[in-house]
Amino acid sequence: MPSLDIRNLCVSIGEKPILKDFSLSLPKGEVHAIMGPNGTGKSTLAKALAGHEDYTITGGEVFLDGELLLGLEPEARAKLGLFLAFQYPCEIPGVSIANFLRAASQARLPEGQEVAAVEFYKKLHGKMDALKMDRKFTARSLNEGFSGGERKRCEILQMMMLEPKYAIMDETDSGLDIDALKIVAQGVNLMRGPELGVLVITHYQRLLDYIVPDKVHVMWDGRIVKSGGKELAFELEAKGYDWVSKELAPSAKN
Amino acid sequence: MSVTLAETPAPVAATSPALEAVFQAELAQAREPKWLADSRREAWTRANLDGKISESGIVVGKSDERWRFSGHKGWSLEGALRAKNKYAGKLPDIFAGGHPLDCAGKLTYADDILAAQTPVSAELARQGVIFLPLAEAIAKHPELVREHLFKHDHALGGGKFLALHQAYARAGTFLYVPDNVEVPATFFVTHWAATPGAALFPHTLIIAGANATVNFLDYFGSVNTTSEAWVAGAATIIAGSGARVFRKSVQNLNGHTLSYQDDTVICGRDSDVRNIAVHLGAQRARYESYSKLNGPGSNLELCALTIASGRQEFDQRTFQDHAAPRAKSNLLYKNALLDESRTIFAGMIRVEPGAEETDAYQQNRNLLLNPAAEADSLPGLEIQNQNVRCTHGATTSRLDPEELFYLRSRGLPKNTAYQLLVFGFFEEVIQRVENEALAELLRKLAREKFGK
Amino acid sequence: MDQATQLEIDREKGNFRYETDYAFDAGVGLRPATVDYIAEVKGEAPWVREFRHKALKIFESKPMPTHWATKDLEAIDFSKIRYYLSQGQKPSRTWDEVPADIKKTFERLGIPEQERKFLAGVEAQFDSEAAYSRMKEGLSKLGVIFVGPTEGLKEHEEIFRPWFGKVIPTSDNKFSALNSAVFSGGSFIYVPKGVKVKQPLQAYFRINAENFGQFERTLIIADEGAEVTYMEGCTAPKFETATLHSAVVELVALKGAKIQYITVQNWSNNVFNLVTKRGLAHEESEIRWIDCNIGSRLTMKYPGVILKGRRARGEVLSIALANDGQHQDTGAKMIHAADETTSNIIAKSISVGQGRSTYRGLVQIPKHLKNCKNNTECDALLINANSRTDTYPAITVRGEGNSVQHEASVSKVSAEQIFYMRSRGLSEAAAMSLSVNGFINDLVREFPMEYSVELKRLIELEMEGSVG
Repeated sequence: MPSLDIRNLCVSIGEKPILKDFSLSLPKGEVHAIMGPNGTGKSTLAKALAGHEDYTITGGEVFLDGELLLGLEPEARAKLGLFLAFQYPCEIPGVSIANFLRAASQARLPEGQEVAAVEFYKKLHGKMDALKMDRKFTARSLNEGFSGGERKRCEILQMMMLEPKYAIMDETDSGLDIDALKIVAQGVNLMRGPELGVLVITHYQRLLDYIVPDKVHVMWDGRIVKSGGKELAFELEAKGYDWVSKELAPSAKN
Repeated sequence: MSVTLAETPAPVAATSPALEAVFQAELAQAREPKWLADSRREAWTRANLDGKISESGIVVGKSDERWRFSGHKGWSLEGALRAKNKYAGKLPDIFAGGHPLDCAGKLTYADDILAAQTPVSAELARQGVIFLPLAEAIAKHPELVREHLFKHDHALGGGKFLALHQAYARAGTFLYVPDNVEVPATFFVTHWAATPGAALFPHTLIIAGANATVNFLDYFGSVNTTSEAWVAGAATIIAGSGARVFRKSVQNLNGHTLSYQDDTVICGRDSDVRNIAVHLGAQRARYESYSKLNGPGSNLELCALTIASGRQEFDQRTFQDHAAPRAKSNLLYKNALLDESRTIFAGMIRVEPGAEETDAYQQNRNLLLNPAAEADSLPGLEIQNQNVRCTHGATTSRLDPEELFYLRSRGLPKNTAYQLLVFGFFEEVIQRVENEALAELLRKLAREKFGK
Repeated sequence: MDQATQLEIDREKGNFRYETDYAFDAGVGLRPATVDYIAEVKGEAPWVREFRHKALKIFESKPMPTHWATKDLEAIDFSKIRYYLSQGQKPSRTWDEVPADIKKTFERLGIPEQERKFLAGVEAQFDSEAAYSRMKEGLSKLGVIFVGPTEGLKEHEEIFRPWFGKVIPTSDNKFSALNSAVFSGGSFIYVPKGVKVKQPLQAYFRINAENFGQFERTLIIADEGAEVTYMEGCTAPKFETATLHSAVVELVALKGAKIQYITVQNWSNNVFNLVTKRGLAHEESEIRWIDCNIGSRLTMKYPGVILKGRRARGEVLSIALANDGQHQDTGAKMIHAADETTSNIIAKSISVGQGRSTYRGLVQIPKHLKNCKNNTECDALLINANSRTDTYPAITVRGEGNSVQHEASVSKVSAEQIFYMRSRGLSEAAAMSLSVNGFINDLVREFPMEYSVELKRLIELEMEGSVG
């Protein structure tokens, strides 16, 4: 079955190991959630999968539908069908959303083939309508001066336009406002289906009020210490992260 | 004319006989009013004071703070000449194949000789708009010209260049838009360097009456990529009360040209002036921009985009002089540096004692695209009034790796992502020209700079 | 806060003078004979005397830097200054041995009291020579050296000579040359490998004589992994004529060392304070200048760090307050000379009345360097309508992955803030000084507690009478 398959992944920042033998398999068509306390390596996982150069892979393998992912350039990973929704997407002045998405679509076409402008805008406007976005929005520079909600909406719009096979939603931080969370959830729910695998990374159970995951994984100190159904999220919410450090982590080590 | 700007101070020499002869010949031929001829003689004397313009050229004092970081060589005038005949070749049309520019009038010069002219419409003429070649305006409207021509001097360091300009400048534009006349279309003037070795002294004088609206574009270019040229141009923009003046200039001379350019802007009460300069060409280009906020409530926007490549040097000196209360000025200078190029930005905001409630801003952003390029920043403030809001900022860095990663994570190849970011850096200025034809042209010229 | 420490910083209370007899006096004016007199009195080695003579020639050959600096420099008449005055060359090791008139001065300034309270060592200079010098015994056992330049160059030549005049060459500028010709007094400090001096060492510089020039010379060497904090304070009585203070301070931080140099400059309003300060930071070392300029007629001082070793760090934190008749022309220099070096400059100035504050900065990152960073912030606060401020930074960047950020702002005290505080019952002056203190609060916190409290108090004093 097609899947995003992470096997024994070890990742360091500088000299410091962050992910330690991390393994997870995300079948296409499913939505998985990774939860865990701050500093446990959740954001590292997202950035390392996308190929950020600050993160050094020291071991393990990642397969995307059977293809080796590690070692590829970030853009090659994207073209294979991986999408990372950034927690804090950076501002890129002077690059309009429309131009950017066109260039990103163009990059996915074979050499010599051009994006058909009419179809591109038809698709873009269709997605924007679905997200209830103002058409003027695409003339703005990427993320520049955006509110938290606008940034999220822009990430979701990109995801819908680029049609990835696997999407990683990095929502690690606790400081997100509820409206932004709803936008992310709406986007995931709109795209959910047999052609997309989603990995939602979050600190709080709150996001899962809006996205019902097929599976929940609890992360601690660079690896997964417990996996279960959606009820695990509630258990975690009720027992708190102390439970992870005191009970789950020690038993997982054995 | 045959002069050299030497690297080392020349011995104090009397005026060069060759230079003197060219100056006197042009002066005699022009048959100008006495006041103007006198003013040119005075400028000529000033240019030659201390023997610093002679066969061996203008010498820039090494301890002159206004020339700090400037390369002290390469201002050679050797072999420079004044063209006598009209250029015989075809002159390029810079807007060909793109969006057409909506023109209110057009002047084209090659080597300081008028090559083509599209006068203003009868309707604009009826409203009193005067748009003429400078020499013709001097003959037809001497009093109007006299009031403003060569009246504004400043101390940004290019005094010798300006004096030389004043002695020789007869090519260029005189534009007068009377009170309450609004001209939305663009007055478009092109200066071409054509003959090898040509020395050009293009002049622009824009006078906007009270509540007038003016749009103006100066383009400086070379007809080929090989001819050497020496250009010392100056523009004066005078905005009356409530006038709205939007002037743009593009310097795209070839890489064998030495270019000095001065912009002086005088802002009247409640006027709204924008001056955007794009610098792409020349081997070495010195640009001085002096702006005086003379009228209370005036609003000034200064913008520049420089793309430096090869071993080009762009030396930019700006001065925002706040002399009146409640005025606002906003400067944004962006430099992108490729190869072994060099940019210097030296900016000054001065707030004079009476300039209450000044709001002034100055920003210099340098994008280093090659480790061998060098960006120098000298952002300065001199504030003599406490009731102000003044800030400046200067940053120099390479492309942000996080931005690059973000784009690549969306599937853009590294090169495409890089170019998108670089062109995005330019867009902030390009969009401010608010003219599709010009914006398109600038994007095209920028792409050409990157060899595409 | 007790009376004694308050004296330390309060300008009016430094304005006193006891009659003093000088046993040694080089006379008025500067000639080769002046240099010989100083070298002889000190019994210096021939190489030091030669160093002085060479410096004098360089001083004479250099023009005043008025092409960029203020014309006020021309008011200095070098032929009317006395270059060396002292009662003797050997500092006392106990306060009881200090001559009575000098001791009285330092007691009034609260120095012995501070020494008891929080200092690891003190040197108290009176005109040209230290009258008192003492360090806690434990430190000398660890090999820490804390002496004056005469003793340093004589007794510990092998330690100090290799670095002496190397961070700041004699010809660096006109005033470094002047200092090199006639230097006397100051601190030569060596902290051995791995020794961390917990409490600060302090020097106190006092000018007592009119028409006098004080030219102390300081060289601090922190060996590998060593740490030291040095503080200097200074006062002078108000004279009718101008007085000159022109020091040279060199810091050398070897691999992994940390040096923190704190200055609270409170000269009286007729002192020309023209000081050259620079540090040389080796690999992974850190040099911090914390510089507060409140006094003097004209101060020109731009502490710098040459970041010579990989991952070295340089910092300048600077506060300047210019009142009527004062010009604080201060700033910072950061010369990056190795990969991954970082520097940080935060400069805040306050101009009161007709005071003028100027920031000059120099940041250089040359071509062959990678991943260096500089951050500069300079903020100016203008209190009165005729107050003045200028900012003149110069930044040069080349190389790969280097980034530089400079920001500056000029503002006044917000009228709404003042109104808000007054509506709560504060006087306008009190509200103003609260606001001003808020403006520099983040920097004041970097000073040792004993100083920061006093700084705040001093600013309150300066603010009085600035309103209305």
